Amino acid sequence: MKKKYVIGGVIVLAAVIYLVIVILQNMGSYYQGVSEFYEDIEKIGDNNVRVAGTVVDGSVAWDAEKVKLSFIITEGDQNLPVLYNGAQPSNFKEGSAILVEGKYGSDGMFHASQLILRCSSKYEALLE
Amino acid sequence: MIEIGRIALIIALPVAIFSLLASISAARSESGRFYKGARYGILGIFGLYTLALAVVLYAFFTDDFSVKIVAEHSSHDLSPLYSLSALYADKAGSVFLWGWLISLFSALLVCLTGKADRRMTACTMAILVVIEAFYICLVVLVGNVFAPQSSPVSDGFGLNPLLQNFGMLVHPPLLYLGFAGFTIVFALVMAAVIDRSPDIWRNTLVRHWAIFAWCALGVGNIVGMWWSYNELGWGGYWAWDPVENAGLMPWLLGTAFLHSMVMGRQRNYLTAWGLYLIVFTFVFTLLSPFITHGGIESPLHGFYGSSFPPYILGAMIVVVIGSLILIYIRHRDIRSKESPPSLISRESAFLFTNIILIVLVIIILIGTVLPGIIEGVGGTKIALERSYFDSTCGPIMLLLVLLMGVCPLLGWGKSTWKSPGRNIIIFLLAGTIVSAVILTTGTGNWYIAVVLICGLVLFVIFREWWRGTAVRHNNQKINYFQAFFSLINSNRARYGGFIAHIGIILLALGIIASSFYSIEKTVTLDIGETASVSKYELTYQELTFKQDSAKISAVAKVLVSRSDKEVTTMHPSYAYWFSHDNFFAEVAVRTAAAEDLFVSLVWTAFDPDDKSATFRVLVNPMIVWIWAGGGFFLLGGAVSFSFREKQSSRGTG
Repeated sequence: MKKKYVIGGVIVLAAVIYLVIVILQNMGSYYQGVSEFYEDIEKIGDNNVRVAGTVVDGSVAWDAEKVKLSFIITEGDQNLPVLYNGAQPSNFKEGSAILVEGKYGSDGMFHASQLILRCSSKYEALLE
Repeated sequence: MIEIGRIALIIALPVAIFSLLASISAARSESGRFYKGARYGILGIFGLYTLALAVVLYAFFTDDFSVKIVAEHSSHDLSPLYSLSALYADKAGSVFLWGWLISLFSALLVCLTGKADRRMTACTMAILVVIEAFYICLVVLVGNVFAPQSSPVSDGFGLNPLLQNFGMLVHPPLLYLGFAGFTIVFALVMAAVIDRSPDIWRNTLVRHWAIFAWCALGVGNIVGMWWSYNELGWGGYWAWDPVENAGLMPWLLGTAFLHSMVMGRQRNYLTAWGLYLIVFTFVFTLLSPFITHGGIESPLHGFYGSSFPPYILGAMIVVVIGSLILIYIRHRDIRSKESPPSLISRESAFLFTNIILIVLVIIILIGTVLPGIIEGVGGTKIALERSYFDSTCGPIMLLLVLLMGVCPLLGWGKSTWKSPGRNIIIFLLAGTIVSAVILTTGTGNWYIAVVLICGLVLFVIFREWWRGTAVRHNNQKINYFQAFFSLINSNRARYGGFIAHIGIILLALGIIASSFYSIEKTVTLDIGETASVSKYELTYQELTFKQDSAKISAVAKVLVSRSDKEVTTMHPSYAYWFSHDNFFAEVAVRTAAAEDLFVSLVWTAFDPDDKSATFRVLVNPMIVWIWAGGGFFLLGGAVSFSFREKQSSRGTG
């Protein structure tokens, strides 16, 4: 009987350790506001990050031919130009709160691989 | 007018207290008068609640914008059909509807029970009445659905276009049906514990409500995926979003509960597991709608944000502690009586199934609430990547599928390596060959392994069916068709389970194929231009503009052909909605068994002189298999549901 508990315990412990490792591996990409992003910009380097901000009025430009969307997000007096290969998602508009995921390029632009809208469009109406 | 609804619910509260006292008295004294009183109380609550619901729905149908909930979620041009969606688009509205379902089910339960086992029914009623009263308090005191609109408006704000979809019309009610169903199961099981009822797991009511709730929740989740796929336009159907997880976790726990129930009925094994599992299934249903509406839906919100109601957390703690104390007090009466089976037996396979399902739920729960907890405690904003879920849940789910295949090969009770030996060896041999093939092809395509394992499991299930059918065909001299149905009929509970397992396999195959073999392309075309995606040629033929009171839409006509043969014409559209001052895409999907062609019109200038438009095209393999899996859940559930106790002798499952 004792042996059973020992084996069980070892399995549980191993599972917990594995889980913690997986969590730590996948937790890197936290998000921050634009101003925080600029503070940490050297630390971030070439890593994948998420930055939160608001889409600036009049900054949205869309190149249909090349399927490129560019806009500026702002937070705490700081602006960040964003480039995204794809069309704007539903619920995207000037003034919306948005989370951009991607890398900061040497060209001074943030190259987004994903745009996540606050109150992800799916639940906007369910929320308020 | 709307006040009538509020008053009806307020009157329902003293009725609930009366009904509670009456049912407690009935349980103690077995007095017929008290019993009757409690029953009438439950029916009375249902009547009053229904009146309240009717009043609110009336306000929606007549566009009464003096009511806040109507003004916020409806509008003149909203189709009456979607008035329902507008009701549960509101946080309080969905709690309201959910509470009504519990009152409906409680009323159904007291009508169905008749004269059977009065004491246990009285205990059940007492528990249900407390739950109902809790919901009524929530609706009346906290999320007030009867609140008047503070400043008068001529038209409502309107319903989010994304919610104006058939999937969204049925997805939330299906989930609530499941949640309310598990609430009934919880009440029945706890009542049986209080009453020391010896045969909880042979109780037909428990079985029926559990299967019903499981089906509703399972199909509800799949309809949610269907909606996400067809309406949101991102081409996927599952994102490990907290809202999705909230619907999945109670379903997984409910699945584990069903398995414990089967073991409890057939082998008097895992009986305590069943009790704990139904407690946690119920608690997770409480958690679920408040994750949905409480505000942890997006990574920008914290779990312990002000919107997560502390009284729900309080209720959950009360339920867990109360139930655990109750189970502890009665633990002598409910312990499994038989000696534990050996490690290699069908019983153990059920035990492992339970353990794996619980581990899954723990992992998903951690992933769902951890970012919020860390933010709440340390203030650091953390987002867990999707790969956390994929890399932990994927292999575990695979293990579960494997168990489905091993289980039927195992014998009951004290089997050793010898008795099921041959079957196991065949299975393991097949598994080894599979692994060898994968390793030697050296591509590291582990998803091929999944497909092959699924194939093996299907093989085991069909072999079971084939053998049974063949035996019946030979012994009873009936044709194979009759033999097959006679086999299913002989133990519907068991074969219903197998059918549900086939549903899981279809689901797994669909998910694997569509996750790893999807092809995507975004392209801007002028009228007459053609783009090729995978084997398809898409020709953009025409763009037409349409306007109605809610929106202006641009509808594209896209001709699809494949190796110079015309396949179909698709009409994706892109619309500007006035009420939301925003654009929404309406995707067009061509479904086939092998793959879906998914075309979304994501941009156009709404300019009659420049009709160039941007399309996002996806080729998603085997998506329809996922929806088919949902169908098998329903079918398997229905077959199991129709099972009657006397049909089978003990231990044949």
